Amino acid sequence: MRILNNPVIAVVVAFVVAIILFYLLDHGIMSMQGLPLNSDLTPAQ
Amino acid sequence: MNLKTLFKTILVSLLLIWGVSLISVSSNSLASNALAAGTSDTVESRIQPEGKVHLEGDPEPSTTEEKSAVEEEAEPPIGAPKLKRKDYPKVGASSRGIVWIAAQMHLFFAAFVLAVPMFVLVIEWVGMRTGDERYDNMAHEFMKITMTAYSITALLGGFLTFALFLLYPQLMNYMMMVFDMQVLVYAGLFFAESALLYMYYYSWDALRYGNKKWGHLTIGLGLNVAGTTLLVIANAWATFMMAPSGVDVTGAVTGDIWEIMKGPLWNPVNLHRFIANIAFGGAIVGAYAGFKFLSARTVEQRALYDWMGYTANFIAILAFLPLPFAGYWLMAEIYAYSQQMGITAMGGILAWLFIVQAVLIGTILLAGNYYLWSGMSRCEGSKRYTWMIKYIALILVACFLVWVTPHTLILSAQEIKQLGGSHHHLLGPLGIMPAKNIAVNLMLIVTFLSFQLYRRADKVATVSYANFLNALMVAIYVVAIVNVVFAGVYYGYFTNTVYKVGSSVMQVASTLVVIVAGIVIDTLLFKNAKTIPAVWGKVSNRSQYALFALPIAFTWLMALMGYVRSSVRTHWHVYTVMKDNSPDNFVPSIGYAGNMMTIVTIMFLGMVLFIFWIASLSETKQSKPVAIKKDTEKQPEAQEAGA
Repeated sequence: MRILNNPVIAVVVAFVVAIILFYLLDHGIMSMQGLPLNSDLTPAQ
Repeated sequence: MNLKTLFKTILVSLLLIWGVSLISVSSNSLASNALAAGTSDTVESRIQPEGKVHLEGDPEPSTTEEKSAVEEEAEPPIGAPKLKRKDYPKVGASSRGIVWIAAQMHLFFAAFVLAVPMFVLVIEWVGMRTGDERYDNMAHEFMKITMTAYSITALLGGFLTFALFLLYPQLMNYMMMVFDMQVLVYAGLFFAESALLYMYYYSWDALRYGNKKWGHLTIGLGLNVAGTTLLVIANAWATFMMAPSGVDVTGAVTGDIWEIMKGPLWNPVNLHRFIANIAFGGAIVGAYAGFKFLSARTVEQRALYDWMGYTANFIAILAFLPLPFAGYWLMAEIYAYSQQMGITAMGGILAWLFIVQAVLIGTILLAGNYYLWSGMSRCEGSKRYTWMIKYIALILVACFLVWVTPHTLILSAQEIKQLGGSHHHLLGPLGIMPAKNIAVNLMLIVTFLSFQLYRRADKVATVSYANFLNALMVAIYVVAIVNVVFAGVYYGYFTNTVYKVGSSVMQVASTLVVIVAGIVIDTLLFKNAKTIPAVWGKVSNRSQYALFALPIAFTWLMALMGYVRSSVRTHWHVYTVMKDNSPDNFVPSIGYAGNMMTIVTIMFLGMVLFIFWIASLSETKQSKPVAIKKDTEKQPEAQEAGA
């Protein structure tokens, strides 16, 4: 956890976490509605 | 009265209510059976004896009951009546207008009196947990306003009932047939709610500390259970008229009461009204606090009512944040039930009212944000965040402008020619739902940001991982905003309709993630935080006017959207089942509807001011007249006259 005290690393890790979170959220929400997405977020149907 | 006696009283009262309900159900069933078993409605049939005498040993004569029972089986079920113009009494005024005003006024007050005990219970519980008596006093004061409002709600409910039975007797007859005993359950619950409300308010000081406080909270819980049940029962009547269930195409009852109640729109309306009532109730008590703040004469009073106004605004805005999503669910269910009904609401004559809705919601968000920004002046620590306010304001105004941009314009031929079509080539795309969805989600996200900044203003984090949590919060805001805009633009304008609609859920989820993450991160971040003292009462008078703006906009909004919800039935009393053939069986012009909404809004706010005045009056004590000693012995009569 000490590595996260470095501001640059903290920001980079935070953005990576947020991007992964929302990417998975987008796939999950659309799949639940029967609207699957490709890996680049374009419609799979 | 000790706690044990009190619980016994509650138990006995509940048993009595239950018993009376059972007796009513039984007697009504017996009466219905007797009616069903009766013969045709002729003079002979009414006066003929119940049975026939016969001599012992002779064959028993056949009874009419057996015959009528066979006849009854062959009778088709009773459908909804087909009304003619003459079935509607003429009273010399618009029946719809009278019912409109009565129903809206009753709903305003009902929403208020059902909502306030909900958050009062939570405030009381917080007061008990923290041991801070201010919470308890505030909860008690909020209930004081509710008591006057409760009487007015009941009076308006009575007026509305009389108006409905007088002006729409056939419709009410049909509704009574469909809902049957449920209306008496409603009436019974009303008694229960009244009893619990009075017990809750008047036992406040008697059950204030220790275990007795739990007893008081239990009464409050019972009050809220009764109130919420009343709400969902009344919602069933409204949603049955919009999307009938448990009846066939003729309106004849085919299902039980549960099938009739749980129509496709019942739960969306339940959720929407539940949340909206809390936001509305919070806004009204916020205005009360603003009123008291402005009329306060001491620093202590200003501090108290400033804190009370802040708490009320907190409740109103917190309940308001998920409200658009509940409204979205309701509209989605309306479209799913009847596409025609959905298009009438959002694409037809009522579509322009959604632009007015955007103006009112924009007003609520601007006023709510402004109050939070003004409130930041209470604490020196807020200076760390004030630079962000201008950017938040910019996003709010830009989104507000997108939201109020109409899609279809009402234009003359000349104007269409000048414009090059019915839609503006640049602003036209902003008139459709993807742009509106982006706008509303961004407005909610930045409103939560204002709220979060306010909450952070008096704290300094001391945990070792503070940097990372702050970076994570910023990243979540940025990525959520990008995701909302991406989903709206890409799926909204460049993919098919199914993905367009589906992506709006993605946007909602992004906004909710921001809110949930904000609460979780702040809880972790400000564990054992240093606090910078905030000075209650150190806030501008201007901020209190924002507290007045909130209930005005909320009331208008409720009148507006209530009208839209009801008008989507167009020329039907009960959609597709019972036609409206009254002189008012048309959707009125927007101007007329706007005037009606404005009239009820002004009437309601006038009555709210009356309630505030009554609440203040109870605190006012006339000082005892001081006898004038001079010449008292000589002229006692003159002194008496002077006093």
